[in-house]
Amino acid sequence: MRVLAVCGMGLGSSLVLKMNIEKVMEQEGIEGSVEVKDLSSIMGEQADYIFASEEIGEKIEHPAEVISVKNMTDKNEIKEKVLAAYKKL
Amino acid sequence: MILDLLQKKNIAVNVKAADWKEVVDKTGDLLLKAGQIEKKYIEAMKQSIIDNGPYVVIGEGIALLHARPEDGVKENCLSLITLAEPVEFGNKNNDPVKIAFTFGTVDNEKHVKTISELSVVLMEESAVDKIAEMGSAEEILEYIENILEQQ
Repeated sequence: MRVLAVCGMGLGSSLVLKMNIEKVMEQEGIEGSVEVKDLSSIMGEQADYIFASEEIGEKIEHPAEVISVKNMTDKNEIKEKVLAAYKKL
Repeated sequence: MILDLLQKKNIAVNVKAADWKEVVDKTGDLLLKAGQIEKKYIEAMKQSIIDNGPYVVIGEGIALLHARPEDGVKENCLSLITLAEPVEFGNKNNDPVKIAFTFGTVDNEKHVKTISELSVVLMEESAVDKIAEMGSAEEILEYIENILEQQ
């Protein structure tokens, strides 16, 4: 599963998101990668899913499905969303 | 490493702030006084919230504030304030903010370990509420150290 974690600058919230998605993928034995990107550099990037906050998610135009995360520090929300995304692949 | 950057002088507890801009000012001021950022970095952080929205409120009660390396970062740094009264940032899921971190990084890589450790701390059950209620920088540092030691 190839995931992009996106925020305005690709430095802060997207990095927190990446760490937490990777943790879930590792725990669940899901293979793949999570890469941090800023809003302006996602065009042309191949991905199965894009994870972002709701505010950023609304601004993203990309062929991959955008999954918005409300609380990036909520283990349960991230786990639920990563597993649901993985099942749909 | 988070504890190399988050020193006592970079933490202030029970800070009064009237609105989100003052939260940015006050967390940023700690780094400004330490000589770790330039004043324009604080303005850049505000502008980023105006441009991109209040997504800096990454989890319930937590703001993670920053701008870009080229906005005036002198060295990698991190500060934390806990708020006397929670402050609204306009984030529909995670307001109001109780604790705010500001970080600065000189490039796109050097802060990764720090943010990684920070996300471990913030994922702890009720970490935000616990930190928000702590009365001193020492107490907060000890709490963070304990969580990281268990990893």
